[in-house]
Amino acid sequence: MMRIAWIAAVLEREVAELLRNRLLLLSILGPPIVIVLGPVLLGKLVAGRPLPAGLAASLVAGRPEWALLDPGDLAAAYSFQQFLLFFLMLPAFIPLSIATFSIIGEKQSRTLEAVLATPIRTAELLAGKAIAAAVPGIAGGLIAYLGFAGLVRALYGPALFAIVSAPDWLAATFLLGPAIALLSVVLGVLVSSRVNDPRTAQQVGAVIVVPLVGAVIAQAAGRFLVDATGYGLAAGAVLLIALAGLRAGSWLFAREAILTRWR
Amino acid sequence: MRRPRRPPAPVPDATDAGGLPAAPAAGAFARRAWQTPPVNPSPSSADLAVRTEGLGRRFGERWAVRDLSLELRRGEVFGLLGPNGAGKTTTIRLLSALIGPSAGRAWVDGLDLVGEADGVRSRVGVLTEAPGLYEKLSAIRNLDFFGKLQGLPTAVRAERIERFLRLFDLWDRRHEPTGTFSKGMKQKLAIARALLHDPPVLFLDEPTAALDPEAAAVVRDAIATLRGQGRTIVLCTHVLPEAERLCDRIGFLRTTLLRVDTPARLRTAHADGRVHVRLAARAGPDLLAALRTAPGVAAVEAAADGLVAELREAESDTPALVRALVAAGAAILEVRREAATLEDVYFEVMGAPADGEAAA
Repeated sequence: MMRIAWIAAVLEREVAELLRNRLLLLSILGPPIVIVLGPVLLGKLVAGRPLPAGLAASLVAGRPEWALLDPGDLAAAYSFQQFLLFFLMLPAFIPLSIATFSIIGEKQSRTLEAVLATPIRTAELLAGKAIAAAVPGIAGGLIAYLGFAGLVRALYGPALFAIVSAPDWLAATFLLGPAIALLSVVLGVLVSSRVNDPRTAQQVGAVIVVPLVGAVIAQAAGRFLVDATGYGLAAGAVLLIALAGLRAGSWLFAREAILTRWR
Repeated sequence: MRRPRRPPAPVPDATDAGGLPAAPAAGAFARRAWQTPPVNPSPSSADLAVRTEGLGRRFGERWAVRDLSLELRRGEVFGLLGPNGAGKTTTIRLLSALIGPSAGRAWVDGLDLVGEADGVRSRVGVLTEAPGLYEKLSAIRNLDFFGKLQGLPTAVRAERIERFLRLFDLWDRRHEPTGTFSKGMKQKLAIARALLHDPPVLFLDEPTAALDPEAAAVVRDAIATLRGQGRTIVLCTHVLPEAERLCDRIGFLRTTLLRVDTPARLRTAHADGRVHVRLAARAGPDLLAALRTAPGVAAVEAAADGLVAELREAESDTPALVRALVAAGAAILEVRREAATLEDVYFEVMGAPADGEAAA
């Protein structure tokens, strides 16, 4: 049974430390700004320029509702669609950065032994750290998406807003994003227990984005467009993997393992 | 290997190091068989802050600590000495319920180490080898966080944080990040953290390691302050004078506990049979010749203020020496046995370093 007060204490300290780590803050706040402004600016560049006929036909075949867009908006919709997966990288990268900095930071400053010498349970410590890492990632993804959707509505009008607020975008942002954030935290914990440098941990943990990058490339090539059901299924699969990883790695976060096996 | 001897020091009273009862003098040498005497013959369990029975911990095939049987009374300051790798930190981790034992049992403040581990952790304070502070956070935030982990209510936390920061002279810098603190200040803050929940048992793992002499003195003074507060303190250190000054008893650990006793008795028991006699007049050749034939006297030599006699058994042969001096008409001002230093005792008890160990 986990005790809320202990989790809250860990969470509060994690946030206090995060707010004092300028480098980490910059790495958390910078990417969402780029990911929001990037597609909005790119859309302005491509709007009014029709896509190659073959690519346009392929897109409309995959998304019949896009047939209603005029050729200029179709190009903007196509460019926006590429960035949907970039929005999923936020819940992948932000929790990974926070979790690795948090755990490796504690290893480097040798604070974990003092923490574990208190009556806190390791599940409470892990929960506090996981929440502190996952919530900014999930929130970052959602806030970035809402900001992007708002800008699209303001700058491009209702037709393209309907595209970026379609069920596939919502499923990706609200279902797959949080699942990826959880998996990212699990990976961050697993990797951080074995290495002593946050950069190394992030590089190893970045394996999580490989499938996303692959999907971006495939989608950019016009090979497929994932629909809401696909994102929902992907969210379920990622969640299962994350839970399995959490269960498999839970022994790593046992008091004794932290003190005797972590390097 | 014996180290160079320091100048002779007077034998302290056997009860001076903490009020523990003195053992019969005649038994001092008999115990050199590396037995570990109990604090007193049969302390009740209520008197004991820590009790272990055959406690051991193995990592793979290697025992870090084994067969540790020990009783620590409430209010006692116990020093744990041993080379690196001797098992001191593992012992502290075992007794603070950070890791579980592979063998044996132990009770801390009456709680079973395994079955009541959460309770044990709330009753012990641990100063880890490194201060382990969150360096971006202030002293107050550090203590407040650990106070929360100990389950202290807000008002109690606030009162104790202020009390300990003032006690250790850190109050004026309470809002500054601990990363700006000196090593001594960090160590004092870590001690404050260990005390925050008012634990009856305190484990201090090398509290003055890596500190400059000034910072070490500050930390030693802080520990000395704690002595009078009735806490049981287990102090791991490589600094032998520190152990001698602060500890009621000292245990020599090298995987297993080799020897336990008060500093005074350790130094006396490990002394050579040298007795220093201060005389009103310089010892002449006749007096020295007379003493050489006295029972138990192996050698005699003149000293600036008297003589030094080497006895076969210092405890039992000293009265015969005094009788021989009186019979020879010597004007005796003082007779005292030369005591070993704790360093002498350390090297004699520890013997040669084992594989994987470093000398202290």
